[in-house]
Amino acid sequence: MRKWYSKAVLLVAVMFMTAALLAGCGGGEEPSADNSDKIKVGFVYIGSPGDAGWTYAHDQARKALEEALPYVETEVVENVADADAERVLTQLAQNGNDVIFSTSFGFMDPTINVAKKFPDVVFLHCSGYKTADNVGTYFGRMYQARYLTGIIAGMATESDLIGYVAAFPIPEVIRGINAFTLGVRSVNPDAQVKVVWTNTWFDPAAEKEAANALLDAGADVIAQHQDTPGPQQAAQERGKLSIGYNSDMSKLAPKAVMTSAVWNWAPYYIETVKAVKEGTWESSSYWGSMAEGIVGLAPYGPMVTDEMKAAVEEAKEKIVSGEWDVFTGPIKDQNGELRVAEGETMSDKDMLSMDWFVEGVQGNIEQ
Amino acid sequence: MKLRLTGRNILQVEKTMTPSPVMVVLVPVASIVLALAVCGLFFYLSGKDPGYIYGKMFSGVVGSTYGLTETVVKSIPLMLCGLGVGLAFRMQLWNIGGEGQLYMGAFAATGIALFFPDWPAWVLLPVMVIAACLAGGFLALLAAVPRAYLGVNEIIMTLMLNYVAILWVDYLVYGPWRDPQGFNFPLTAPFREEAVLPTFGDTRIHMGLLFGLLLAVVFYFVIYRTKWGFEVRVIGESPEAARYAGMNITRNILLVMLASGAVCGLAGMAEVSGLMHRLQPGLSPGYGYTAIIIAWLAKLNPIAIVLVAFLFGGLQVGGYVVQTSGIPSTMVAMLQGTLLFFVLGGEILLRYRLRFMPGMRAGDESA
Amino acid sequence: MNQMCLAEMRGITKRFPGVVANDAVDLKLYPGEIHALLGENGSGKSTLMSILAGLYRPDEGEIFIDGASQVFRSPRDAIRAGIGMVHQHFKLVDTFTVAQNIVLGDRRTPFITRMGRIEEQIARLSQRYGLQINPRAKIWQLSVGERQRVEIVKMLYRGCEILILDEPTAVLTPQEARDLFRNLREMAERGRAVVVITHKLNEVMEIADRVTVLRGGKQVGTMVRGEFTKRDLACAMVGRDVLSRIQRKSVAKGPPVLRLDKVQVLNDSGCNALQGVSLQVCAGEIFGIAGIAGNGQRELAEAVTGLRNISKGRVYVGDKDLTNAPVRRIIDEGVGYIPEDRLGTGLVPGLGVVENVILKDYRTPHLSKGPIVNRRIGVKRALDLIARFSISVTGLDAPVKLLSGGNLQRLLLAREISSGPRLIIAVYPVRGLDIAATEAVHRMLLEEREKGTAVLLISEDLDEIFKLSDRIGVLYDGNLVGVLDIEDADAERVGLMMMGGEEREAAVR
Repeated sequence: MRKWYSKAVLLVAVMFMTAALLAGCGGGEEPSADNSDKIKVGFVYIGSPGDAGWTYAHDQARKALEEALPYVETEVVENVADADAERVLTQLAQNGNDVIFSTSFGFMDPTINVAKKFPDVVFLHCSGYKTADNVGTYFGRMYQARYLTGIIAGMATESDLIGYVAAFPIPEVIRGINAFTLGVRSVNPDAQVKVVWTNTWFDPAAEKEAANALLDAGADVIAQHQDTPGPQQAAQERGKLSIGYNSDMSKLAPKAVMTSAVWNWAPYYIETVKAVKEGTWESSSYWGSMAEGIVGLAPYGPMVTDEMKAAVEEAKEKIVSGEWDVFTGPIKDQNGELRVAEGETMSDKDMLSMDWFVEGVQGNIEQ
Repeated sequence: MKLRLTGRNILQVEKTMTPSPVMVVLVPVASIVLALAVCGLFFYLSGKDPGYIYGKMFSGVVGSTYGLTETVVKSIPLMLCGLGVGLAFRMQLWNIGGEGQLYMGAFAATGIALFFPDWPAWVLLPVMVIAACLAGGFLALLAAVPRAYLGVNEIIMTLMLNYVAILWVDYLVYGPWRDPQGFNFPLTAPFREEAVLPTFGDTRIHMGLLFGLLLAVVFYFVIYRTKWGFEVRVIGESPEAARYAGMNITRNILLVMLASGAVCGLAGMAEVSGLMHRLQPGLSPGYGYTAIIIAWLAKLNPIAIVLVAFLFGGLQVGGYVVQTSGIPSTMVAMLQGTLLFFVLGGEILLRYRLRFMPGMRAGDESA
Repeated sequence: MNQMCLAEMRGITKRFPGVVANDAVDLKLYPGEIHALLGENGSGKSTLMSILAGLYRPDEGEIFIDGASQVFRSPRDAIRAGIGMVHQHFKLVDTFTVAQNIVLGDRRTPFITRMGRIEEQIARLSQRYGLQINPRAKIWQLSVGERQRVEIVKMLYRGCEILILDEPTAVLTPQEARDLFRNLREMAERGRAVVVITHKLNEVMEIADRVTVLRGGKQVGTMVRGEFTKRDLACAMVGRDVLSRIQRKSVAKGPPVLRLDKVQVLNDSGCNALQGVSLQVCAGEIFGIAGIAGNGQRELAEAVTGLRNISKGRVYVGDKDLTNAPVRRIIDEGVGYIPEDRLGTGLVPGLGVVENVILKDYRTPHLSKGPIVNRRIGVKRALDLIARFSISVTGLDAPVKLLSGGNLQRLLLAREISSGPRLIIAVYPVRGLDIAATEAVHRMLLEEREKGTAVLLISEDLDEIFKLSDRIGVLYDGNLVGVLDIEDADAERVGLMMMGGEEREAAVR
């Protein structure tokens, strides 16, 4: 026994020594960091840009940011678990990043904690609700795009049953399902939206399976709120239609994807970094709308008819112009109870903590 | 096994009982150097500077106080779970349920923290510890009782119970335990200060480290010095001999699994109370599973488990550090995998020896 | 023997870490002979034959087949040269048929195999040598003796001219052994050479045409039938004269220590293994249980030691009723137990000598204080036992599985005896041991008897039973078919009872 742990000590020691040695001969000096013209921007991802979903959309925007602002240099850490976020954020701050985007809800508390220790670094947390002097939050009104995709799905469905593969019953997801359902029923009042929870953000196989279960139940259009295109692939394999999310998913399932509700973080990232550079940035809770371009629809697939396009355009105009928003009454919940009265519009606060389904959704929120 | 090199030379592998001291030193060193060299070549081929990467890794893990303390922080749950499952492995009880037991511990500790808001820290924290141990132990007992009395396979039982525990915590944080101030996000309310484990200085290292170190020493003493430890070792080596010597195997199965689950439960308490300060999904990125590898690499020796847990903590912290130098996380995973592979391979080399057998005479070829 | 030899090993030396297993050994094998390779455990017999069969490669020395030097890189090379070995542990696939096992791994087997023809061939081959096997039977259906036959036929099927058998009779009943010898003789007469590795003198006397004796890796000599006596062989093997019979001193029989009253016990498959056995063993007496394995011996020992449930009847030790008592209590009542499976049951293979010495009384106040075991006393006791019972060990903490069979048994006996038992149950205590170790074990048991301990000796070896016992009982089919005083017993009668003959005879009469 004794032999072993002396060996383990040795192992550790040797490992570090070797690393030191290699570091020494590699001459791996840090690239000169403080070039006052430069601005360093760090990104923390929950997944990997290869997911073709959530993280991919953020990474596309990061690339756009680098391209748009020549003085920007970015640093990325991907596949970060919630439990590791605090360390990774600290490390990015220590590395001299001036702005750090933390792009997952689970990073909320770590972001706030680390921000306390680095008052000169600007932190931006996506999808959360806690702010500080140097912490802003940002998110987009994805529900607006969801509503529009709902119109297409509602017109396309023949079985009047639409499947919705959803990750977790958190307000963001519930809001999306509700907006989508409202869109569906605005053109097809008989249609129902059936929800299946996967309890995972990233599990292509589980997501595909959930989509298949919905297809088995008679759904002929599949929408989703996940980080991968698994549900789209399931729809394509079964010759059914689907609505993508996060980014344009038509490349991965060209025969199935009618359109996707997409994030376009680039304008926001560019504006924010510019503001920090110019010293005009102030902490805020940014919740961008379709009018600002942060959410939108991906190009239509060939199966989308002109009639559908016209219906979408009509609704889109009303939303973008600010004349009308999705959660405007009358809206009833699953039990037929009136939640938003005629003529009223839901407040942001209510939308951000939504925990009930609108009429037309089949599914439960408490698992 | 024999390996034919060239025409007449033969490399033979033979089992050796006692590895020579030179080999004990040489093999781990060579394993690590080799692993780093192989990955270095790979980095080089993909256009990265291996010296720079290893230098970064080294400075990020042990080059700074922060890196070091973070390594320790990361190793705490690994260490505790490693000790827990390692104890069960001693008796050839394959407790694969460390992950679930950790979740149960986190659940119980959170329950106490949330529902006894008036208790002072010196009452609250010990009660949280006890509750966590009981909860983790209870989950392990659910597998141990059928194993002890009916011979039901504990691998499958503990594995399945992991899902039960994780989903149970999910249910709580999405449902009844959701923070009323949390916009319906899946988080419990943050712990009061009294329910938070003290930390060392302004690092994130919390008291969980003391639990781990103390338990390692206690386990070492218990296993090698006490009657109960003796029974555990005998049963683990040969249940027939234990029966022959009049040891109560059933009772020991229950006791060992209870203790094993309790320690894993303690890991969960340490995570929520020392680090997260609230219960949330994704609490553990698989600590309970990594612990299995740690326990094996340490040959179940409690002291060695602590050291190997540090090593793994360093590997994981280093992995994130390296990412900021432009290495994708998949390559980092490759580096970690390669290191493990070579170290384990070296272990086998220690137990076998190579014999080079040159010069077989002419005429051999006809054979 | 002037004819050409089939195989010759010249100056074979093989070293393993720490030992020289073979030291310049020469061996010649002629067609038509049965050659016994005799030696104690660890004398290098198996190593030598493993070299001939291509499993090991010699460090020095050469092998000539039909006069030409050969190097075997694998057993396959050896088989091609006509040398096949039947190991002590058979290498058969349980769920395959006999024929499938025989062609398994045979290079000549075509990709598409017509089993029917092969089965015919096998049947013919086995008939020629009187090795009755059904080529279509599955291995798991066969008895140990039949499995051995499969291994032999496998080698014959592959055209082996030299057949090596490693301790072939260790697993056989006397009847099966006799059949085997007849088959081997048949093979030799057809021009093959047969090598039998053994440490049993009787076997050598019975079948060997020539015998080569190894001691400590060195060749002591090769002798031709008629030139040697049993005693010569024993001397050559052990290096001194050991066949001097240990004398049983007469000991005054004490009061009964172990008493079984109509004990019934089930075996693992739920059938009656003991059907009402009653017996008594007194202080200062060795009670020998003879019988062929599988007639309830194992269950008898386990029932007395508390490891197996007694379904009917009672067991008393002294005046205490220990029927179905916990093992711990039986140990505390002074019952020592030498189990059949010494490594794995009697001793913990992966633990050191100290741990194994304290295996049973680690919990007594002598060895522990509260929950803590006092290892220092354990070490002292281990050292004491090692010295007293001359056990050779490599270290106190090295796993005992590294010890030789004889040392294992000494260690086990030392522990059981040193606890001062009033009853010892010894099951097959010398199985697999060489002459010197056997003698030591026997001496230890007799010494116990002289000290007034009651000994229940369970053995298959009639020589052993007769040598040690004061009274002999024969177990047949779960019944104690007869109890004889040693003075009244003769081997023939006991042998007959072991085969269940006594009863039948009685019925005829």
